[in-house]
Amino acid sequence: MIAAFFNLLIFPGFLFLAIFGLAAEYIDRIIYARLQNRMGPPWFQPLADLIKLIAKEDVIPCEANPRMFKMMPILALTAAVTASFYIPLWGERALFSFNGDLVVVLYLLTIPTLTFFLGGWYSTSLFSKIGAMRAITQLFAYEVPLFICILAPALLANTWSLSEMAAFYAAHPFYWTFNLIGFGVALIAMLGKLEKVPFDIPEAETEIVAGTFTEYSGKLLGFFKLAIDVEAVVGASLLAAVFLPFGYGIGSYLGFVIYVAKVLFIICLLALSRTIFARLRIDQMMEFCWKYVAPLAFVQLVIDLALKGVLIR
Amino acid sequence: MTSEENIQEGLLKKFAFLDGNIKVQRARRIFGIVDHGKFREVFESLIKDFGFTLLCTITGFDEGEVFSLMYHMARPDGIVLSIKTSAPKDKPIFKTVTAYFPDAEIYEREVVGLFGVTVEGLGPGNSYPLPDDWPKGQYPLRKDWKPAPKKGEVKDA
Amino acid sequence: MHKVIIPIGPQHPALKEPESFRIQLSGERITGFSVKLGYNHRGIEKACEERTYLQDVYLTERICGICSHAHSTAFTQAVEEIAALAVPKRALYIRTLIGELERIHSHLLWLGVAGHEIGFDTLLMYTWRDREVVMDILATTTGNRVNYGINTIGGVRRDISLAQVKDILKAVDILEERTKYYIDISTKETTMIKRLSGVGVLSHKDAVRLGAVGPTGRASGVDRDVRRDDPYAAYGELDFNVITDDHCDVYGRAVVRLKELMESYRLIRQILKNMPEGPIAVKAPRKIPAGEAVSRYEAPRGEDVHYVKSNGTDKPERVKVRAPTLANVQTVAKMLEDGQLADLPIVIAAIDPCFSCTDRLISIKDTKSKKTNILMWDDLHSYSVKWYRDKGIDFTKLNRKLQGKMS
Repeated sequence: MIAAFFNLLIFPGFLFLAIFGLAAEYIDRIIYARLQNRMGPPWFQPLADLIKLIAKEDVIPCEANPRMFKMMPILALTAAVTASFYIPLWGERALFSFNGDLVVVLYLLTIPTLTFFLGGWYSTSLFSKIGAMRAITQLFAYEVPLFICILAPALLANTWSLSEMAAFYAAHPFYWTFNLIGFGVALIAMLGKLEKVPFDIPEAETEIVAGTFTEYSGKLLGFFKLAIDVEAVVGASLLAAVFLPFGYGIGSYLGFVIYVAKVLFIICLLALSRTIFARLRIDQMMEFCWKYVAPLAFVQLVIDLALKGVLIR
Repeated sequence: MTSEENIQEGLLKKFAFLDGNIKVQRARRIFGIVDHGKFREVFESLIKDFGFTLLCTITGFDEGEVFSLMYHMARPDGIVLSIKTSAPKDKPIFKTVTAYFPDAEIYEREVVGLFGVTVEGLGPGNSYPLPDDWPKGQYPLRKDWKPAPKKGEVKDA
Repeated sequence: MHKVIIPIGPQHPALKEPESFRIQLSGERITGFSVKLGYNHRGIEKACEERTYLQDVYLTERICGICSHAHSTAFTQAVEEIAALAVPKRALYIRTLIGELERIHSHLLWLGVAGHEIGFDTLLMYTWRDREVVMDILATTTGNRVNYGINTIGGVRRDISLAQVKDILKAVDILEERTKYYIDISTKETTMIKRLSGVGVLSHKDAVRLGAVGPTGRASGVDRDVRRDDPYAAYGELDFNVITDDHCDVYGRAVVRLKELMESYRLIRQILKNMPEGPIAVKAPRKIPAGEAVSRYEAPRGEDVHYVKSNGTDKPERVKVRAPTLANVQTVAKMLEDGQLADLPIVIAAIDPCFSCTDRLISIKDTKSKKTNILMWDDLHSYSVKWYRDKGIDFTKLNRKLQGKMS
């Protein structure tokens, strides 16, 4: 019982993810700054930001629905943390696992975006509403390619459980190299999920101030920010588990180091992309996702189906 | 003969009443004064016959008895002709030139806001450049206008 | 989504200065647009009438923080014309030099802002870093990064030394290199082209009809540049091309500005090579004879028009300023017709608006209220210091410590 609580709340649950999320945010920011020829923040900056936000007063707009308004940040954070329990982090086994947990994780990772939509919608500000509409429009564009390209490796492994997938790829080293197209697609989808340039359309500050988060302040905004950080780490862990499944079973310390390296590698790729691109328009984003990204995801699916016929009899 | 003098001569030939009111100040600078009643035909001719196709801006004046507007018009070759017309202070009415220059709208609004003249034919729109709560009847660029002392100014705010 | 009207401004992250746009939206599409200006109104035209000519040079310089030299030059030119002053050649060359350096810093600033508006912050960071090169040059030659205070009636106030010439040439080499790189990025980087081309289209016909000036007009194929058409300062003796483009969109405006940068570098090299020796100013009378003059200046944003009327005293009868943004802001409605909300910031930014130029005149300008302002600021300052001191945040000791270290 105590062990379960420890797992849920401290390691590898909420506290670990929060710290790791903040660290990842720091890495993201410092890389972004360095690539732009700036100094960047000191290492404790994300934590300091969080503490500052939590210490501040919550202002809820008169016209907003207070219950929904307050609930959304918590829901976003909870969903992101819950998703992590089903992802194998540094062992082949996740904390919890059942056949079909892959689909559950994908759905759990969709919830934060839905909370952005609802939170923006219920804050009733015009900027928030437009941001909310954009978030949900964007969701349809990247979610389909993401699902397809994550299901493809699962097809090859012939299981719907992330833990069993990890075991499969550990047993068949180098099979993961077949899924590199999917990895690319998933990275693009992650940019959309985390609302980072070039897909930061829902919070394009030069157009709609902060989009969904325009009316959020204080603790609630802090929770949203933390949820995004945690979502980044959990999303990256999912990508690492599905597309970079190696380095398992070499002892928990070394495994942990490899896991952290994998996640940070993905975070670095995301930071790089946000440095070198300009923000797209929502119509351009939709076109890009449906015209190029979705077909690529299908290519990955076809590759895996074909391989399954050839390699696994 | 330079083209500035050509313009001067052409104008005088066409509008004999302008005699003595057109002055070439230097290369590319011509100044003119025209009666309020004749302004429109001269203005039209300047655009159509003399090629002054760009309106730089409109300057307003408070000249004691009259309000004047000076239209600074330019040609692509760099010649600027500034033509001035006046209306008496008790009836300061000018006609809009937005039919010729759509961009004149904001210059006309500026003159309206700052001098309190009337420009006929100017459609509804935001005032410029004074704020919405500016007191009525206060026209700051008039020579007799002095800023009213601020009421209730708090020194130790 | 039903039709909504969203306010952009007076305070909004996309706007660096206060002005208010009301956008009618249907989903993401813009269906209506109206603009309200005047938030930066300071009454400079009226204030000019109450000050001497020499004071007005500095006042007009403060119309705008970016194109300050443009305004002060346009004003001095008009006064010099009325007073029939023969300004020495070397002074004209120095004015032109500062004018071109100002154009470089303004265009680089614009490029960074444009990058920010389309969410490409890396470009912002890069261009603004490189802009420091030209800012440093301006600071060493004039003593200030903006509001150079180099103009005076009858000439300029500071000469350029040989060492400074060397510094400027070195800086121009660096900047030219960097500008080539930005031209390369802007014409090749896909997301940037996607966000810029086809956006905010202003056809050649509309540009002429609405009187677009500067790079905004030139990007729509309006071949107009006061520097060539109505040469002032030293431009009559220099060789340069007027850049035009027929893309008619934001991309075209970016290309025009970038290519103009290259022309500016060429101009600066010519100026420094051909600069004649001699005095830098003639003495100007305190009282200017009665007369009037129109002065035009090609500011970085377009044609800047000053009209000055004198009445024989030491104060002008009337000063009128037409900043380029006022001519261009009227084209924005046309550019936004049927546009996307996402394109709004870059379209507005693409005319390189400068609203403090645009809104000048009026306001309360007597010394009394000025004093009150200063007082209020001081009060506010001491209030804030006291407020934090009461909360236990006191910098007095730290200040002393730092001062001790410095001395």
